[in-house]
Amino acid sequence: MKTLRVKVSRFDPQTDTGPTLVEYEVRVHEGARILHVLHAIHDTIDPTLSFRSSCEAGQCGSCAVVADGKPVLACYEEAREGMVIGPLALPVIRDLVVDLVPALNDIPGLVPKQGCQPPSYEEMEAIKPLRSCISCLACLSVCPAVSVIRFAGPTAMRQEMRLALDPRDSVDRVTQAVESGLFTCTSCQACWKVCPKDIRIPGKAIEKLRALAGLKGLTLPRHREVNELIRTTGRSVAPEGPSFLEQVDEVIEPNGEVKGTVGFFVGCMYTMRLPMTPLDAIAVLKRNGIRVIIPKEQICCGSPLIRTGQPDYVRTLQRRNIDAFAFRGIKTVMTMCAGCGSTLKHDYPETIPFRVMDISEVLLEYGIEKPARLNVRATYHDPCHLLRGQGISSGPRELISEVIDLVEMPPVCCGSGGGVRSGVPEEAHALAEKRQEEIKKTGAEWVISSCPFCEFHIAGHTPLPVKNITSVLAEGYREKDRRPHRENQA
Amino acid sequence: MVAEGVVKTHVLVIGSGGAGVRAAIEASRYGSCALVSKTIIGKGGCTTMAEGGYNAVLREQDDCEIHYGDTMKGGAYLNDPALVRILVRESPDRIRDLVEWGAVFDLTPECHIAQRPFGGQRFPRTCYAGDRTGHEIMATLVERLGSTDVECHHEVSIIDLMTGAEGVSGAIGLDRDGEIQVFLADQTVMATGGGTRIFDISTNSTSGTGDGYAIGYRAGADLIDMEQVQFHPTGAVYPYDARGRLVTEAVRGEGGVLKNVLGERFMKQYDPERMELSTRDVVSRSIATEILEGRGTAHGGVNLDVSHLPREVIEARLPVMLEQFMRYGVDIRDVPMEVAPTAHHIMGGLRINPECRTTKAGLLACGEVSGGVHGANRLGGNALAETQVFGKRAGEYAGRSPKREVEVNRSQVAATSALLESFEQGSVSPAVMRDSLKSAMWEGAGIFRTADKLKKTLATIERLQSEQPVSRGRRGLNDCCTLRNMLGTARMIVSCALLREESRGAHVRSDIRQDWDPSSSPYGHTWISVSGMGIEQVVRA
Repeated sequence: MKTLRVKVSRFDPQTDTGPTLVEYEVRVHEGARILHVLHAIHDTIDPTLSFRSSCEAGQCGSCAVVADGKPVLACYEEAREGMVIGPLALPVIRDLVVDLVPALNDIPGLVPKQGCQPPSYEEMEAIKPLRSCISCLACLSVCPAVSVIRFAGPTAMRQEMRLALDPRDSVDRVTQAVESGLFTCTSCQACWKVCPKDIRIPGKAIEKLRALAGLKGLTLPRHREVNELIRTTGRSVAPEGPSFLEQVDEVIEPNGEVKGTVGFFVGCMYTMRLPMTPLDAIAVLKRNGIRVIIPKEQICCGSPLIRTGQPDYVRTLQRRNIDAFAFRGIKTVMTMCAGCGSTLKHDYPETIPFRVMDISEVLLEYGIEKPARLNVRATYHDPCHLLRGQGISSGPRELISEVIDLVEMPPVCCGSGGGVRSGVPEEAHALAEKRQEEIKKTGAEWVISSCPFCEFHIAGHTPLPVKNITSVLAEGYREKDRRPHRENQA
Repeated sequence: MVAEGVVKTHVLVIGSGGAGVRAAIEASRYGSCALVSKTIIGKGGCTTMAEGGYNAVLREQDDCEIHYGDTMKGGAYLNDPALVRILVRESPDRIRDLVEWGAVFDLTPECHIAQRPFGGQRFPRTCYAGDRTGHEIMATLVERLGSTDVECHHEVSIIDLMTGAEGVSGAIGLDRDGEIQVFLADQTVMATGGGTRIFDISTNSTSGTGDGYAIGYRAGADLIDMEQVQFHPTGAVYPYDARGRLVTEAVRGEGGVLKNVLGERFMKQYDPERMELSTRDVVSRSIATEILEGRGTAHGGVNLDVSHLPREVIEARLPVMLEQFMRYGVDIRDVPMEVAPTAHHIMGGLRINPECRTTKAGLLACGEVSGGVHGANRLGGNALAETQVFGKRAGEYAGRSPKREVEVNRSQVAATSALLESFEQGSVSPAVMRDSLKSAMWEGAGIFRTADKLKKTLATIERLQSEQPVSRGRRGLNDCCTLRNMLGTARMIVSCALLREESRGAHVRSDIRQDWDPSSSPYGHTWISVSGMGIEQVVRA
């Protein structure tokens, strides 16, 4: 047995104005899960504590709660000293009990066809990965889209896809999914990352349904335009001046000793619209001994097409990009766009002859010269495709903290991804406004990120300067060079 | 105190596991139907936790007669033969219903529903969806339910059936806020599932508290064979709070082997022919004996090993097992699981006829709350089949029944209010009382029973029944009502265990020597009701 102290959110909407955190100290067995702590509180301290549980074995989806900010199944997650336990971000009935029924009723069901053959072995195997959902609704509770626009939510989309794959079903699932908000998903991956059954809803359901919608001619007009642009120019955005690729040599030697060599996959947004940012990156890489090779024939990674369900041309893009880097014998391809990085890491064939690293991983692997510290408070916006897409969270913070003081805010999508900025601009705007609210709360003077889409989108909704990590490092170096030598040593 | 309005319906179904939802779907074809559940519908009960499978005769090489014979033999011939005939005959059609409604069972490459071997069966007839078969069935049923007009009442706990001169006329429930909700119905279907949560170590969900047995008993219905409690051979043993969690029979069906701490495949001492796939009563006793005689593991279990199987077989066929053990740091692809018996299923229950009618007019029952289908020991895979076969029958016969003049029994509602108020004046924590009961049941009414131990447990139950549980405010009332049901069910189990002075199936009386085998036992069902209890004598020609 051991003693654990936890804080639990208590709230009765009939009598309280808002939730309060109450601390409890209970005796539990080694290995106790959150649910066992809740039982102990209920049985030995306060029998009025309300929470749900049923199977206690991860199969019924009754007991999802938020523990230390993350939705988890209370029966699965081990309880930790000091844990803060609250309800899912859904309407609270009491304490940890939230109203699941309306959302459960929104999950569509199969409408059988008359006299239809059962599915084949292959069809059943295709359906299975979408079938283990226990409808705990953790996914819905973290979905940014549902908070600003009509969207049935991640697991409803999972179910639409599962039904679309089933020959026994008689409903046009694709059209129904589009009407239920299929194109409002920003592909932030939050639903997948909290799913206790690890169902990859964005990749396995949303993108697949969008591709089926494309076959029905339901692709959004703006997304079709992007497709057309990529097919004709190789780029997902049109230039607004000299591109980054036009401004640099193919090989850029570092200032001093060569510590490593990377191929640089720049991405459409940075090369066409925000060339100053990769130029800052080059300056930082040069200073830190990294030789950069920039194949000029590189083109769009294919992400905009994959996310919007237009996969036809993706293989061509992949082949051309792989060839561009493989031809030069490049062993490490560096990305600085979170979306490109995630796409190269997950949507390219596993057989690609190089490893893919985000620029933050490259800089930390080789180590960086200390920049000057700037007297600025800044907050960091986690790009979805870096945080959840690539699992990169601490690296960028480590780098930023070399230069400035960081003030944290919760990692939530800014609304620019998944084709939403172009396809559903009112949603993208609403999400960015919510982001701006969070930014304001931090009292930061700068916003830092590591994704051109996030940077560009947030910049349109905040009065603060929005900077890329490498630009911050570059400023740190410039400041260092300006200051007298002795000051830098102090 | 009494919530606004009375819910009036033709058929009231109590319980939202596999049997209850199936009954509601069927009943809705004949008229109005209300489904009331103490959990969110679809999330409670044990069906969604059922892992291994569903028995159905689907192949030409198999035969309903063989399934019948296996079930009767496995049940130590205490089963009601008419109910078993229905089970084996209708089970294939009910799985076809599920397939039509969208169930995703595992298929063979030839597109037949795949079947695996399960204990005590001469043909591999257990259909499955990996090791989440019950979850698959439940998901399918809930989707189907959504397409009907069934009126769903989530998180309302039935306290008691409402009775009158004409029999059962509905039920009195308690909503989430502790308010009374009255249901009036021409026919009421009890589908409340099992109750092995009255034991310290159990596989059941939190709703497995035996409510239906106790409620049915108080309403005056007969129950049979309540002493017959199945201890599943393989439950988890650690960590402490996960003890008892089901480790599916499919693990052995897929080739898992049981070994004691000395590395011996001990089943060859107990049932050399069927080995690990003997019936559950035999395997449970064998494991318990190994542990009692000192050949158990450090955590007090035996080893169940699948590490010799191809990794992809484990990943595809036992994904839930893999995931659940991985959560506790055990990779079953490499190391064995430690397992020990755990209270799993109550074979006894409300006495029903083939139309699922109980002995009380207006009350039907289906699923685990009913008795007679499984006799003295249930075969793995027969419970899911039972939920569908008898759920459908209960819904159909209830639905087809004529309308009746039913009215609210005011005095009973008042008595219920008084009972609830008495809980608010109570003095003992229901959690403390519950834990005392669970320990007493595990100690005295477990796998090996004697009259002395049973009487000691009965005395504990009687003492607890004389105490007054306390509710702090109306929201704790449900805990008190549940405790009352747990005590009622426990009392029936122990009383019937004392009545049956023989070892039969899952019920072992180690204090009694007998010179008969199950097929020639002089005893039939035990029975218990408010008017008395007894054991039927079999007159053999």
